[in-house]
Amino acid sequence: MFQTLVDTIWLVPCYAFLGALISFLWFPSIIRKTGPRPSGYINTLMSLTALLHSVLAFSALQGQPAQRLLIPWLKVANLDLTIPIEVSSLTMGALVLIMGINLFAQVFAIGYMEMDWGWARFFSLLALFEAGMSALVLLDSLFFSYMVLEILTLATYLLTGLWFNQPLVVTGARDAFLTKRVGDLFLLMGVLALLPLAGTWDYQELATWAKTAQVDPTVMTLVGLALIAGPMGKCAQFPLHLWLDEAMEGPIPASILRNSIVVATGAWVLFKLEPVLALSPFTLSALIWIGGVTAVGGTLIAIAQIDIKRSLSYLVSAYMGIVFIAIGTQQTAAAQMMTLTHALAMALLVMSVGAVIWNCITQDLRQYGGLFARRPISGLSFMVGAAGLVAFPPLGGFWALLKLVDGLWTTQPWLVGLLVLVNTLAGFSLARVFCMVWGGSSKPMTARSPEVFWPMILPAMTAMGFTLHLPHILATLSLLPTWETFNQEAALLLTGSSVLGFSAAGLIYLSPTIQKPVKLPLPGLQDLFAYDFYTPKLYKTSIVFGVDLISQLTSWFDKYLIDGTGNLFGLATIFSGQSLKYSTSGQSQFYVLTILVGIATIGVLLCWPVLSHLSLAVG
Amino acid sequence: MLSLLIVLPLLGAIAIGFWPSKLSGESARLGALGLSTALLVLTAVIFSQFDLSAAGLQMSEYLPWIKTLGLNYALGIDGLSLPLIALTNFLVLIVVYSGDDGVPTTSPRLFYSLTFLVSAGITGALLAQNLLLFLIFYELELIPFYLLILIWGGKNREGAAMKFLIYTAVSGFLILAGFLALTWLSGAPSFDYAAISTAGLSTRTQLILLTLLLVGFGIKIPLVPLHSWLPDAYVEAATPVAILLGGALAKLGTYGLVRFCLGLFPQTWPIVAPGLAILATVGVLYGAMAAIAQKDIKRMVAYSSIGHMSYVLLGIAAHTSLAMVGAIGQMVSHGLILALLFYLIGVIEVKVGTRELDELNGLLNPLRGLPTTSSLLVLAGMASAGIPGLVGFISEFLVFQGSYSAFPLPTLLCVVGTGLTAVYFVILLNRTCFGRLDNKTAYYPKVTRTEQIPALVLTALVFFLGIQPTWLVRWSETTSAAIVAAVPQTAPPPIALNQTFMPAPSLKLQG
Repeated sequence: MFQTLVDTIWLVPCYAFLGALISFLWFPSIIRKTGPRPSGYINTLMSLTALLHSVLAFSALQGQPAQRLLIPWLKVANLDLTIPIEVSSLTMGALVLIMGINLFAQVFAIGYMEMDWGWARFFSLLALFEAGMSALVLLDSLFFSYMVLEILTLATYLLTGLWFNQPLVVTGARDAFLTKRVGDLFLLMGVLALLPLAGTWDYQELATWAKTAQVDPTVMTLVGLALIAGPMGKCAQFPLHLWLDEAMEGPIPASILRNSIVVATGAWVLFKLEPVLALSPFTLSALIWIGGVTAVGGTLIAIAQIDIKRSLSYLVSAYMGIVFIAIGTQQTAAAQMMTLTHALAMALLVMSVGAVIWNCITQDLRQYGGLFARRPISGLSFMVGAAGLVAFPPLGGFWALLKLVDGLWTTQPWLVGLLVLVNTLAGFSLARVFCMVWGGSSKPMTARSPEVFWPMILPAMTAMGFTLHLPHILATLSLLPTWETFNQEAALLLTGSSVLGFSAAGLIYLSPTIQKPVKLPLPGLQDLFAYDFYTPKLYKTSIVFGVDLISQLTSWFDKYLIDGTGNLFGLATIFSGQSLKYSTSGQSQFYVLTILVGIATIGVLLCWPVLSHLSLAVG
Repeated sequence: MLSLLIVLPLLGAIAIGFWPSKLSGESARLGALGLSTALLVLTAVIFSQFDLSAAGLQMSEYLPWIKTLGLNYALGIDGLSLPLIALTNFLVLIVVYSGDDGVPTTSPRLFYSLTFLVSAGITGALLAQNLLLFLIFYELELIPFYLLILIWGGKNREGAAMKFLIYTAVSGFLILAGFLALTWLSGAPSFDYAAISTAGLSTRTQLILLTLLLVGFGIKIPLVPLHSWLPDAYVEAATPVAILLGGALAKLGTYGLVRFCLGLFPQTWPIVAPGLAILATVGVLYGAMAAIAQKDIKRMVAYSSIGHMSYVLLGIAAHTSLAMVGAIGQMVSHGLILALLFYLIGVIEVKVGTRELDELNGLLNPLRGLPTTSSLLVLAGMASAGIPGLVGFISEFLVFQGSYSAFPLPTLLCVVGTGLTAVYFVILLNRTCFGRLDNKTAYYPKVTRTEQIPALVLTALVFFLGIQPTWLVRWSETTSAAIVAAVPQTAPPPIALNQTFMPAPSLKLQG
């Protein structure tokens, strides 16, 4: 039984993929009679099957050694691309988490998307994500990870672009695709460059190789930087963080997935690559810096947002930044724990906020207020989510951050200070959202706002249960510190910072004496945070402008210089006063001329090594 | 067996063209469909008999023809030509099937007849094992293509057809000059490939001859400074003709590059390879950048073709066996993806009546847009941008991995090129498929199931070969290894980024 479960573990992504394929049948151009709903039910069922399979495999694997399965894929010209699958308690745990949150998101979507017509497309894309993410954790090879990440980039584009007739959605989808693709392509460069160095892409073999590898430090630094660029895009780190914010234009069930586990795909690749990255100290410090800037910047920007979803999305960037710091300081276990606690808590936060948005039909925080009397369940789940995310004992986030801080306590105290700051700001940001939505007095948009129906409440409640019980689960897996190793000072510091953040926000946003919306004494600074450090503008004036300019120049060059038909020839005939000769035969002469010039260019270029050699011999 | 692949379409062209009694367009189409299906079945039979482990020619046929000229009727097939022949015959079937909708009903008999002439020409050139025989077939498709563009093309078809004719004729002329000089200088008894060896020629002679051929084939591919016939020809040609032009004909250029330039000049190849790698990089970036600025979606795809053929050039220049397999795979996958893109754009043009980016909008709309067509367009665009799981990715990847050890910097720049590909396809898709459909103008005719079949078949293939790439690359593995083994390996073993990336460092440094 146990072995069968493990041997067939590759079925888990297949369930989801099959669901995605079956959903195609309910595209409006194929089946119309039943409406598109069956596609949603089928996919939920597939997720449930996948979840059961992975839970059974996870429990069966407890106390067993890790196993590897090999599936042949492509073997060509001394390049062997066999699919390695790692079945260990870590990958199975990740699989359970992915499938669980997917199931939440899909059940939530059945409620949230009730009035939508694009079910088949939406659910097939959700299922594609599910398949991709579960495949990612199973595959133990950098090459296949890269493949999956690219496919997920495409899926992000399509899923964000679900409501494609709104202009903001279209630009959001575009930016999400292109930003992630930039990261992916750097990753591809890293993948290409790593093979000649290491001779393998299997993470396991890479780790073995890294132990004894002697590589030129410059090369290793370049390769390392290329390798972390992909995860930077996925984890929405500065300066590739813009897409996550814009992707919030997509539907909320997709945001549940995206904010909790899709961003974590990048972190997963980093966990696996950690031994390779450690070969270059520069790469590690780059990770710390990127993560540090994102963590502080992300929390500050989150506090300045007036859109609920965006406020949460910047926190996602910030927490992934903490994961980056953890990997940069080689605390992989803490990074993994942080990813787990963040995923669960963030899914809960997005679900509770999503349920509120669904029938208050606004995302503007300033229009909310006084919902706790009407929406206590959503309010409670937000509170639990917030407490589970920041370091608030005894919930999960506390243990993850404690583990990280404990590891840095003596070695890098300045990072401890940074983490405590980030934790305070994150607590402040979450409490701010809570106070603005659930606290205060009710406003026109919130005056009539009952609790929503079960498909949205059920997953939120289940996720709340899991968030509350996460410490228990961690204890069962013996991931919590014992009393002897418990760092009491760090624990106190972290708890204190969370309480400080929560209470400061409570004081400011619940007190009627402080003018709302809160204005900082420096409006320029507030705008800087509110407009995301002006990153969109920065991109527009630099990269977008540059590519546009070069492409226009190329096109002009092509039209008027390379192609002989353009004005140039017309001008020549006008100047020579023989416009009558502007005929087919005249044009053909010009073509011949262009061809000759082209030939000459190629000829010189091709013979260049020899020509230069000749000139040297003569001289 | 191989002769059938040439004789059948020739006979078909004659039969359809000169059928004595009156032949309706519909029955001509049926006949053409039957014939092209037969050709595809024949190709399948050849596939089943193909020996994967043999590097050399298989199923050879030899018939002395004109002894004094050195012209022999010599045919053969290997792992280089087999996938391209399959691609050609497959695309001919697609073209004949779609001909009914894409081509105006004027003179269908002539259209099918010319299509089969083209098919015979391309197949013949791919099978020929004699330089003159190759050239005969190479020139044979020129006139039919000229007519195909001229008769069924768009508004500016005359200029485009003339441009195509002149460029291709120059290409043929240069190749002819190269072949003649090559045979005479090397003192070979005939024009058979096997009889010719450049080993005895001096490096300078070899370089001059090689340059003639490179430029000749470079026009056909096309390489960047010689490409100006391409956008016009692709854009003005009717959809089926554009599919044949970009999907099948352009491959003759890269085929010639491998077979004649690399195959006949193994000693000189390493000298020109760095230059070619730079040209390939320029082509990739130039094609992508020019595509970004286009406003006509067909022209955009035409420029994308320049970039994608340059990946093939990069792979050939690198001459490692992995890159070579990738290059051959890229020829096939580019053919499939380009055919799919052109087909879908053809459907959009027919139904919506425009190809302008500024006028198209919201075609993904499930009720009043063209949902299936635009979904497939998304997929085709992504395949072209090299998203894994689709056929474009794996061949590009093999080219990159194979070329990286020889030319790290050009390879990395070509990777940047795939990023730019994503940029223009996102522009295309965002404007065409996404957005809001204008309710006032959106009364488009429905796309029928029969019109969708070619696109669906192509998509299925793009998908299948993307997930099971073994079926794409297994045919050419042995041949690629043999071709590459003939070239003296001057490229250093896997090198690192900070080292110089020219395989001939001594020459480079002295210059």
